[in-house]
Amino acid sequence: MKNKAIVYSLYLLSFIVATIAGCQQKQEPQNQDQGITITDDLGRELHLPKQPVRVFGFTSAMAEMLFAIVDTANIIARTPDCDYPAAVYTKPLVSNYPVDLEQVLALKPDLIFTSEGMTPLEDAARLQELGIPVYYQKYRTVEDVLRGIEDIGRIMGREQVANHLADSLRKEVQQLETNYRNRPNPLQVLTITWTDPIYVYGQNTLLTDKLRILGAENAVKETFDQPYPALTREYILKLNPDILMGGTKEKLEQTFFSQYPELRKIKAYKDGRIYAPTGNLIERPGPRIVESLRELEGFLYP
Amino acid sequence: MMRSLYFILALLLIAIVIVLGLQVGSFESDLSTIAEAFLNYNPDNTTHYAIVHLRLPRLLLALVVGASLAFCGYLMQAMVNNGLADPYLLGTASGASLGAVLVFFGFVEITIGSFYMPPVLAMAGAFIVTLVVVILGYRKRQLIPAQLLLAGIAISSLCTAMVGLLTFLSDSESKLKSVIFWSMGSFERASWTLLPYPAVALIMALLLFAFLQKQLNILMLGSERAQALGVQVSHTRWAILATVSIVTGFAVATSGPIGFVGLIVPHVTRGLLGTTGKSNLLFCAFVGGLFMLLCDLLSRIIYPPTGLPIGIITSFFGVPFFVYLLSRKNYKFSS
Repeated sequence: MKNKAIVYSLYLLSFIVATIAGCQQKQEPQNQDQGITITDDLGRELHLPKQPVRVFGFTSAMAEMLFAIVDTANIIARTPDCDYPAAVYTKPLVSNYPVDLEQVLALKPDLIFTSEGMTPLEDAARLQELGIPVYYQKYRTVEDVLRGIEDIGRIMGREQVANHLADSLRKEVQQLETNYRNRPNPLQVLTITWTDPIYVYGQNTLLTDKLRILGAENAVKETFDQPYPALTREYILKLNPDILMGGTKEKLEQTFFSQYPELRKIKAYKDGRIYAPTGNLIERPGPRIVESLRELEGFLYP
Repeated sequence: MMRSLYFILALLLIAIVIVLGLQVGSFESDLSTIAEAFLNYNPDNTTHYAIVHLRLPRLLLALVVGASLAFCGYLMQAMVNNGLADPYLLGTASGASLGAVLVFFGFVEITIGSFYMPPVLAMAGAFIVTLVVVILGYRKRQLIPAQLLLAGIAISSLCTAMVGLLTFLSDSESKLKSVIFWSMGSFERASWTLLPYPAVALIMALLLFAFLQKQLNILMLGSERAQALGVQVSHTRWAILATVSIVTGFAVATSGPIGFVGLIVPHVTRGLLGTTGKSNLLFCAFVGGLFMLLCDLLSRIIYPPTGLPIGIITSFFGVPFFVYLLSRKNYKFSS
């Protein structure tokens, strides 16, 4: 009798344990169902347990995006390149290259935003292993940047702010596009990023689309493997651009034309059409994109 | 007879590669355009301008730098009596890289007066490092080759580590591109104003060693035997050191440190003309120049418009030939 009681008790205990275990097994997918799955611009699927709150950008442009869309209190860090808006300096500094994994872990972000080519995919994979997803955006056109703003708004639950911002920027871009559409003999613009060796903005950069909106063209027509290809003096002589961007006349005279006097033969030098775009405007795909277009407009049509 | 034939062949090949090289560039240009550019030069014609002011100085700089490095490699191998020696043994390459990189990373203004500083600092870096290596290799009033060799390796490693540290701490991707240039070399900055510096240094050195070729050949027998045969070993070594540091310094300052040429071409020369040929040094310079011209041409054909870093091409095309040469049973470093 006693033995039977023990056997029944064991059966009962096993049943309770199995039931609890079964419940736990069922609960896990439920949790996953409650989470969200997002796909970034590189086609990577990211599973988030909940809508992200604590975030930061791995690039200076992404920091600008986040400050324009997300509640400032939810942006938890900045990288060494971040310098805009001023409020970014109130956030703790974190190294993005090389990635300070321990510091990133300590900050406990729900999601990190970055853009293609700015964060190695291996770094993103390592962070993913540690439970921190990295969301990539990719921009080829100004419209891609505006869509990027809307995407961040959707992911962060700030659609209204993001859509309003994107729409107002879109209207200004469309206005500029209308103003400069079908201009005969579009100005040919060469933009250098480094002088020794000479590196320039290639055809597959955002600048090409900015120039198109303003009725001008990137003088570099050939598409190279790299977005910022190296060019020879002879290649630049052949391009013979109308406008050269990359520094003030005085600075380029010292660092560029004194080193490559042969390039004094290009039209831009002869006409004195050499301009210095603001570095953090021309380089950054962010909410100040219209400001960048306005600056370029000033150079193209003074 | 064979020697004269090799000389004629080398000169002929140099001329052919120069003519071919003049046709490669962004502006389309056939032989008639090239002939017109030289015989009936029109400064307003940009194709003519590119041929005369960009392509020709580039080709001549490649010729001079290739000749300089091969010539210096031959001298260094003779001096330390070791076939593994090259012109950068004294730390010239790493010193030059460090000098140039210091400018790019903002330690020195990029232009001072009208001088563009990277080549100037590269030259200074090459000389300073060579001087330190020579001081370390100088004992009891004489240069000790083994000590010189070790000092060169040590100081080179230190300079390379410093370049590595600066590169790691770099805040800009563009600066890294300059570091790559200064690590692998290029002839893109060639111009008629730059060309005379390495060219004059090379010609002076060739003239000096036209008189010292015999001593050089005896030196390859070892210092004690050379001393016994009446060679002033110490004087010859100092002459080699001074020549190598000046000629390599100019080559590196104008084109960056290009590896492998100074190592393999002396072996090619000895393989063809024997270890103690009378005109080995001159032939070595010709072959070095020809090899560099070919490498530059290939780099521009393979990866237009800028060309691959020249150091990559010199290694890719030089190593198989070098291995073949070493595998030949009758090849010896010294007699």
